[in-house]
Amino acid sequence: MSNILETSGLTVTFGGLNACDKVDLAVPEGKFVGLIGPNGAGKTTFIDAITGYVPTSAGNAVFSGEDIGELKPHERAQRGLVRTFQSLELFEDLSVKDNLLVAGYDTRWYSFLLDMIYMPRKDKDVEEQIEWALEIMGLNDVADAMPSDLSHGRRKLVGVARALAASPKLILLDEPAAGLDTAESQILGGHLREFLDHDMSVFLIDHDMGLVLSVCDYIYVLDFGKIIAEGTPQEIRESDTVKKAYLGEEAGEIQAQAGERMTYNIQGDQGGQDD
Amino acid sequence: MNQFLIALIGGVGTGALYAMLGTGLVVAFRGSGVINLGHGAVAGYAAYVFNELRTSGDLYLPWFDIIPEWGFLRTLRINNIPTRIHVFDFEMYIGKPPLIPTLLLSLAVSVLLGLMMHFLVFRPLRNAPILGKVIGSVGVLLYLDSVIAVNFGGQNRSSSGFWIFKPDMEPVKNFLGLGGTIPRANFSMLYAALVMGLFVFCLYRYTRFGIATRAADENEKGAALLGYSPQLIAGINWVLSSVLAGLAGIVFLHKTQPSLYATLVVGALGAALFGKLTSIPMTVLGGVIIGMMSGGGVQLANNSWWPDWLEIEGVRTFMPLLVIILVLYFQGDKLPIRGSISVGRQPHAPASNNVTIGAIFAVGFALILSNVFVSKWEAVLTTSILATLFMFSLTVIVGYLGQISLAQFSIAGFAAFMMIRFVGDGTLQRPDDYYVITGVNMPTILGFVCAIAAGTLLGLLIGLPALRIRGVQLAVVTMSSVLAIEELLTKSRSLMGEGAASIQPTPSNPSWFGQYIGGFNKETFRTDYWKYSLFLIIITALVGVAVVNLRRGNTGRRFLAIRANERAAAAAGINVKNAKMLGFGISSAIASIAGIMLAYKIPAVQAENFAIFSGLGLLAFVYLGGITTGYGAVVGGLLVAGGMMPEFLGVHFGDVERGMINAVGAVGLILNAIVTGGEGVALLQSDALGKGPLALLRRNPDDDDNSETDEDNATEGASV
Ligand SMILES: Nc1ncnc2c1ncn2[C@@H]1O[C@H](COP(=O)(O)OP(=O)(O)OP(=O)(O)O)[C@@H](O)[C@H]1O
Ligand SMILES: [Mg+2]
Repeated sequence: MSNILETSGLTVTFGGLNACDKVDLAVPEGKFVGLIGPNGAGKTTFIDAITGYVPTSAGNAVFSGEDIGELKPHERAQRGLVRTFQSLELFEDLSVKDNLLVAGYDTRWYSFLLDMIYMPRKDKDVEEQIEWALEIMGLNDVADAMPSDLSHGRRKLVGVARALAASPKLILLDEPAAGLDTAESQILGGHLREFLDHDMSVFLIDHDMGLVLSVCDYIYVLDFGKIIAEGTPQEIRESDTVKKAYLGEEAGEIQAQAGERMTYNIQGDQGGQDD
Repeated sequence: MNQFLIALIGGVGTGALYAMLGTGLVVAFRGSGVINLGHGAVAGYAAYVFNELRTSGDLYLPWFDIIPEWGFLRTLRINNIPTRIHVFDFEMYIGKPPLIPTLLLSLAVSVLLGLMMHFLVFRPLRNAPILGKVIGSVGVLLYLDSVIAVNFGGQNRSSSGFWIFKPDMEPVKNFLGLGGTIPRANFSMLYAALVMGLFVFCLYRYTRFGIATRAADENEKGAALLGYSPQLIAGINWVLSSVLAGLAGIVFLHKTQPSLYATLVVGALGAALFGKLTSIPMTVLGGVIIGMMSGGGVQLANNSWWPDWLEIEGVRTFMPLLVIILVLYFQGDKLPIRGSISVGRQPHAPASNNVTIGAIFAVGFALILSNVFVSKWEAVLTTSILATLFMFSLTVIVGYLGQISLAQFSIAGFAAFMMIRFVGDGTLQRPDDYYVITGVNMPTILGFVCAIAAGTLLGLLIGLPALRIRGVQLAVVTMSSVLAIEELLTKSRSLMGEGAASIQPTPSNPSWFGQYIGGFNKETFRTDYWKYSLFLIIITALVGVAVVNLRRGNTGRRFLAIRANERAAAAAGINVKNAKMLGFGISSAIASIAGIMLAYKIPAVQAENFAIFSGLGLLAFVYLGGITTGYGAVVGGLLVAGGMMPEFLGVHFGDVERGMINAVGAVGLILNAIVTGGEGVALLQSDALGKGPLALLRRNPDDDDNSETDEDNATEGASV
């Protein structure tokens, strides 16, 4: 199976500190890959690097067979590498639906002329994708509300829906479950694997071990910018290195067990990586 | 070579003034984080007060009696707000009143101005988004400039100066063996700048207050630890900044006419940016360098290789712009730092769905008015419509895209001049015209289109810095380019024709499809309006509908996404650079149309028609009406000086009244920024108030309505 995203030796340096240190990571097409690690491990920085928000000092990133190192953030997004933000970063002046529309439609040079005479381009695929994104994130009832009128958790879901609306090939989720209440977490957790049915691969960062262990096919563990372990959820749960660095404490154990329990609630294969 | 060196040193005087004003700008910025575009006007007001005290003995307070002295108001005698205090009786003094008390009194007015700016403008705006703060400082600029016009008649004054700042002092001959002469006042100004810089430098370095200011600059909590509230620090710095401005203005009096003051802020901005808005020594150095570059640049431009079409004197105003762009370009970062949240809320920009109905009502209304009214009223009506037409350009660039461009009105002017040139055929347009316009002799429509293209190109050029520079810095750049455009291009004789620097006759027979659509009848020497009005109404309606439609479509959504968050916009696959250029292009094209339509109306245009203050006034009124909606532009057009509302209220426009209206507009501008966050009269439409009795107003004959979004979307979606 081919990899939709592959980095080798990816390094990001902030004033002498390597926030990402020679990261080799692969996301196979159609798979659900997780990245975990303690606070400040460099997870967000990794996403920033592959989406072009921070410059890399070494290494490269290949996205569907193309080296994307020189591309601008929007060019990467247009190619289907779409991210969410850990901090909200919604378009506050646009309604929820408009937030999605912005991401869903691309423009041609003449689009503005059509807009001026109000003949906007309607694309059935895009409209359907947006409907689906609203539906799956449970946002149908607030489609016309402004983001500022929503709870923090639902705003986060808008962020995810906006990324989904862009019909990405690979969606990069940066702690989508942080700050969600129980009901919202369930909406998200229960639907995450459905993303895979819509021609996309998923890359998830989260601190909720239960969630990560239950939905991912394959997991990478980052600490101080370095990949210290990788494997199937089973392997990660049992890995001593991971336990020491990250799960070592009791809390981690409990969370890991919670993850085991949750596994039964979520359909979809847990078979791990095939190749 | 010596000539060049002398020219360089000759620039030191102006440079020193830039340095002094720049110092004050830095002080205000460190205290409050605001770049005060009105700083030059603050200097100007103090200078006028000083000059007036010395000549008539009257002290003018920084406001005027707003209540007009006519009709029943006169009999009520309520128009007696104190504005003028007679301080010095000339019986007592032979010649001029004494210098020191005059100086102190003028500076007391500066203190008052500083307090007013702090308490009435920038303190209430402290949590406003960047646009709100910029608008606040534009309000200060417009207000003070207008009050100067009202209180002092707006004429140029020159003063013989005092102490060492006299123009008639023996010039320095053969300085450093270079030959030639240099006015002695240049050196006096330099001393003054150095002393002022040293004073502020020591104040910040060695006093507790200064240390607290520096701490507050980095981190508001830092100041609190030293026992100062950030707002106290801001207030003191505003007063200090205002007094420094006043001093600079007063010592500079000898050199030029005070009407130039407000525009001097451009050089000062260059100096302050050179000092990265923090370092006083670098600011002083920057000011002197810019002054010298200007002097030297003009000297260089006097060479034969200099392109004809760039006006030589324009180099003087271009140098500050050059420094500003260079500094900002190399300091500005590509994308804002992550997680940075802009404080305050941007004005809402609701999409409207009754565009067609609104446009039909508006056009019908305008047509009825244009047929009811006789010629004077038609002039007023077209002024309002022209203003609205121009304001649509601001709706796009400022309202939708969030890029604060203060240069759009200059683009309108540029396009108007270009149109004249394109259609010029070398014949005398009207018997009494002074100049003959030579040109390409294009037909009217072609000239119209080409001039729009030229204006759009210029707009794109001005938009280039916006790719890296944003927020208040962009306002600074565009404001500086206003002067550069005017001096370099609009006044350039070889580019615009003989009359460019003074008054340029417009084509006497513009015709579209065989119809004369000019506003001036050369046979009767009278204004002959109805066809012009009709033409203008149609064009404005088309532009208005296009602008409102933009917001309903994906282009507008993209613009608003960029306004809200450039980082996230890029993540949504938006090419931010292209979208910004598109915004500048559309806005500049609309501005160009407005400029050309203005030129069709009047028999001759001059650079003053498109002066910076007129442009800022238009910004003020569209902001007042509501910068984010088509509706706002319509309301703004009605309010504008010379437009419908003031005329209905019986205020006829001369210079003084125009000043009054603009001052009222400026106050409204600031209030609007504080109270509604810039939604303006369009607030009537927003949900906050919409549920009450005002909901009735929603059915108004205007372009904007955000109720019934769903149904309309559904029906429209189906029909497309
Ligand atoms: N722009 C920046 N400049 C300097 N250092 C940075 C920058 N961004 C991140 N860092 C540093 O890089 C390291 C990794 O940060 P990062 O945000 O990637 O961590 P994270 O794994 O996402 O943490 P969290 O779980 O808290 O989100 C941290 O030490 C952080 O302080
Ligand atoms: Mg993070």
